[in-house]
Amino acid sequence: MVEQSELILTCGPGGVGKTTTAAALGVAAAKAGRRTVVVTVDPARRLADALGLDDGAAADEPHRVEGVTDSESDGELWALMLDAEQTFDRLVREQSGSRKQAEAVLNNPVYQAISGSLSGAQEYMAVERLHQLHVSGDWDLVIVDTPPSRHAIDLLEAPDRLVGFLSHPVYRTLTVGQRTFAKITDAASSMFLWAVKRLAGPQIVEDTVAFFRSLANIEGGLRHRAKQVSELLRGDDTAFVVVSSPRAEAVGEAEHLLRAIAEKHFPLGGLVVNLIHPLPEPFTDSDEELLGQLGPGPLAEQVEWHRQLTSLALAERTELVDVERLAGDAPVIELPLLDVDIHDVPGLVGLAERLV
Amino acid sequence: MTTSDWLTSATVMIVAGKGGVGSSTVAAATALAAARSGADVLFVAVDGRPGMGRLLGGREITDREQTLQRLSGGGRVRARTIPAEQAFGDYLELKGVGGLLRRAASSASLPMIAAATPGLEHLLVLGKIKELERERAADLIVVDAPPAGHAAPFVRSASGLSEVVRSGPVLDQAEQVSEMLGDPSRAQALLVALPEETPITELIELAADLGDDLGLALAPLVVNACWSDRPGLDKSPAMAARSHKVKLTDSAKASLESAASFGRSRLTQQREQIERLIEARDEPLITLPRLATPRLEPEHLEELADALVTPESVVRDGD
Repeated sequence: MVEQSELILTCGPGGVGKTTTAAALGVAAAKAGRRTVVVTVDPARRLADALGLDDGAAADEPHRVEGVTDSESDGELWALMLDAEQTFDRLVREQSGSRKQAEAVLNNPVYQAISGSLSGAQEYMAVERLHQLHVSGDWDLVIVDTPPSRHAIDLLEAPDRLVGFLSHPVYRTLTVGQRTFAKITDAASSMFLWAVKRLAGPQIVEDTVAFFRSLANIEGGLRHRAKQVSELLRGDDTAFVVVSSPRAEAVGEAEHLLRAIAEKHFPLGGLVVNLIHPLPEPFTDSDEELLGQLGPGPLAEQVEWHRQLTSLALAERTELVDVERLAGDAPVIELPLLDVDIHDVPGLVGLAERLV
Repeated sequence: MTTSDWLTSATVMIVAGKGGVGSSTVAAATALAAARSGADVLFVAVDGRPGMGRLLGGREITDREQTLQRLSGGGRVRARTIPAEQAFGDYLELKGVGGLLRRAASSASLPMIAAATPGLEHLLVLGKIKELERERAADLIVVDAPPAGHAAPFVRSASGLSEVVRSGPVLDQAEQVSEMLGDPSRAQALLVALPEETPITELIELAADLGDDLGLALAPLVVNACWSDRPGLDKSPAMAARSHKVKLTDSAKASLESAASFGRSRLTQQREQIERLIEARDEPLITLPRLATPRLEPEHLEELADALVTPESVVRDGD
């Protein structure tokens, strides 16, 4: 997968190590000689530091990650941190017919308020950024770590939702033709405007109408782009990697995600189950006999710990039977809960070796 | 401090933590612990995570309030979700807004209105919680806040909205919610982490954000899923065997060591991270045990509810 795909998306529930997995896949691809960029969404601080991403606007542009490949190799790893607002701004500029049209959208207070926080905006911007990097031609492989979401499936539908928003009857009426706000007679739209006005005051109504109208200038471009992104996500060179942990709640979400990926015909690249407790080496029968008869003391404590860890590790493997079956023909990779969590490039290199 | 005073020192308890740290489970255990002490508890699942109703001894939690569990001491746990659409409808009704505006706010146009008013959905949910608090709907309202990086925007929606919206009932609502969040006798936050580096860092950041900046009172900080201390693991299996006057085979040593080395480094990491949290924050600290199962059952929740109020869990009292 890391040698052939052009796009990889890691998705799954929160707290299972998605970002770390995405970065480790990037390391593996770079080591295989590919020019790779990893788009992270909300990296933990130390991982961000390890990838050379500090806070601020500059993090939105790719940075070379040092210490992954030696100078003789063609492979390189670059990383960036998704900035939803900047990605949205870039999209608006690209799709606008003129600078003036772009400024009208970008300067609108409603646009400024929602570009980073609109529900679903982060998901859409993650796939939009993927598209921007993919078509730039600068990269052999683009890996996108998706935003944490209870409903990770949101990402898959993000482009369709934007189209849904642009097709909403209220939005249509507000943006069609040159009618002024005062002349809007459509019942649904006037109720909508009245509701916003009653609830949030007249200023926001003017801003909202102005925002929707300015958006209308670039609507064709946005729709077209949403369609392209949607096709790209289903392309032959794309792979979705579902990341989970063995905990029942996470497994439930991963199963849901795997079913949705299959139903909507997205290409599944693999399932990674992370944070599995290591299974200790079992006792031989004769050792078992000896160790079963101990009185209290440190050795009894060690035996008890061995038994507990074994039973937890086995219970986790039972949890995984169904979800691993759902992965079908796609590879399943199990990664242990390590002695120490990964925060640096050498740690990522070690994880990359386990992954491939 | 007696160990459970904090449970009911404010009517609203917002439980929050990053995805994967178990904050929903801790929220449910908190509700159960308070109900056992006789309180009438309302558990509000903002995101409606599947399975929480079953853990609390009842059916799946829906937008219709139901009683999940009655306890012998007179306490009970009720539960509901608060979908933004419903909160919006209730809010309009409360404001005496007539049928026309209510129809305008039908589910088809709430997404549009919410798009025009960022943070509105969160504010509507917090506004509904504030109404429940005002009505004294329960002795304690436990709010299972949205996870995965959305907890801070959720709690911050009230102060964020007042920057965009300058008049009208939304602004009033935002101000009333802010007022509730700033009053330690009305609302507090229970922040949850794991004993690992990244979650502890994020807990420290969340505490600074919600506590220091926003002025929300902080309940004890909770470090969830702590490995129980096992001094016996500090020794090598061969050393440990000496005090039992037993001689181990090489295979037994290897098996024991494969488990012990993992436990040792996890325990060391846990000690370091709890130490770091103690240095960074002044709040009392509670540790909850790591449950030896990947699948939670009601009895595990009972175990956590016990641990929340036993003095043994308190790593550090308030000063």
